[in-house]
Amino acid sequence: MTKLNDTRGVERTPPAPLNHTRPFWEATRDKRLLLQYDPRSGKYQFFPRPVSIYDGKGDLEWREASGEGVIFSYTIQVRARPPFQGHEPFALGIITLKENVNLMANLVNCEREDLRIGLPVRLCWLPLPDGAHLPAFEPAR
Amino acid sequence: MSLQDCAIVGYAETKIVEKSTRDIWELGGEVLGSLIRGTGIEKGEIDGLILSSSMTGAGNVFWSQAVADQLALEVNFCQTVDIGGCSPLGAVARAAMAIDSGMCRNVLCLFADTQATEDNRPRKPLRQEWTSAIGYLGPPTAFGFITNRYEHQYGLDYAALGKLAVAQRNHAILNDLAVEKLRKPITVDDYLNSRMIAEPIRLLDCVMVCDGASGVLVTSRKNAEVKGWTKAAVPLGYGERTVFRAAQSVLDITETGHLVAGQMAFQQAGTQLSEVGSFHPYDDFIIAILLQLEMLGFCKRGQGCSYIRETDFSHAGDLPLNTGGGQISAGQAGLAGGGTNLVEAVRQLFGEGGARQVANRKVAVVTGIGGIPYARNFATSAVMVLTSNA
Repeated sequence: MTKLNDTRGVERTPPAPLNHTRPFWEATRDKRLLLQYDPRSGKYQFFPRPVSIYDGKGDLEWREASGEGVIFSYTIQVRARPPFQGHEPFALGIITLKENVNLMANLVNCEREDLRIGLPVRLCWLPLPDGAHLPAFEPAR
Repeated sequence: MSLQDCAIVGYAETKIVEKSTRDIWELGGEVLGSLIRGTGIEKGEIDGLILSSSMTGAGNVFWSQAVADQLALEVNFCQTVDIGGCSPLGAVARAAMAIDSGMCRNVLCLFADTQATEDNRPRKPLRQEWTSAIGYLGPPTAFGFITNRYEHQYGLDYAALGKLAVAQRNHAILNDLAVEKLRKPITVDDYLNSRMIAEPIRLLDCVMVCDGASGVLVTSRKNAEVKGWTKAAVPLGYGERTVFRAAQSVLDITETGHLVAGQMAFQQAGTQLSEVGSFHPYDDFIIAILLQLEMLGFCKRGQGCSYIRETDFSHAGDLPLNTGGGQISAGQAGLAGGGTNLVEAVRQLFGEGGARQVANRKVAVVTGIGGIPYARNFATSAVMVLTSNA
């Protein structure tokens, strides 16, 4: 089994939110994952944008996501830039959430042999220095 | 059709180097001088200037004007095309539009970048919030996702990808302007054994960022005739698609905008795939070539590897591929790198390929890839079908 770094030791720079991304980052302080929801199409979207990707209008709602999903794809970072340098290898995934959005995140608490496309994963959190958190995913065991 | 009324009547290219000791203006000057000498055009006759994106120019909001000033070009049309690796093809299409509208007659499309020596990119909020925070390395990570997804959906024969790497490398060895470091033979085993960067992306999947410049001169066919420019590459068809499937939150990342850009280009050109004499796909990663072979219809979706195994991609083969080595083996001149694929296609159509000249110099196809948006596939995809007057 090949151990992968969970990247908890990485000193990440806290995000500098924009007006339309601030609710996302504020909610991570309480470890809640918010997604933008377009009530007109009944669809979610990620990453947060100033308008609906479906009809171009504003008036988006924020709704809390279930935190459940499956691996859509993944890659193991063998090379990295600071501040991740020295923490390789670590895994990144594109996760398809139950709400039907794709989100990129660190895959943690897993070994290389665990990883496969379609693997059910659940949300967990990596602390950021400013009290916010970064969403990450781990195998749903 | 305005596009087909125009022609590329000259091309020029500098040597691609790992780190340039000459600045970007000097490289641009070399391309200009070479085009003037090659075509016999007077500098004062160049009345349009279109630049590709450039990492070196990225910090300068007056980029096209600054280049015009440095090269002392007095023009009626001046702009930078900022669709990343699609910029060189986009520049030719926009030159045709500007000429067709009557704004100018002779357009210098200049693709120069010294990214390896001077990268002036600003940090973007998007990168910091959604990608830097997770340790996303950039294109190698994106292509890692794409490759694993492709393997999951269709299966993947890495030796077939290695065959593409070897074919392009053999072409770079025949190209004096390719970066010297890469002008050494490789084998499929060398490809397979090269070290991992972002699994399953290996070192020999990736382009090496270099410095260099290239350019083409675009004018109307009518003017080319008047001026006696008998060598011409005519853009028969062009397709460009930015943010393919923008209104989808989950999309198949093995499918790219080349699917629609290719249809647009071939339909406009009235050309069949079987007529293609050489193929010059944008190659930032080896698997991008496989995806484009499928998107353009050279083979069915998911059949890329068996198509590659059955096809000879050498300059003397069934489908000559990036006959100058492509960017992966000639070196990537930053965001101007798409010019390397374009200029090689024009060189082949002119019949000036020398030791790597292809037999069928009637039709060449060039593509572009510009950027990779968050969890998607290619910010811009472009396809151009070119024909010679041979």
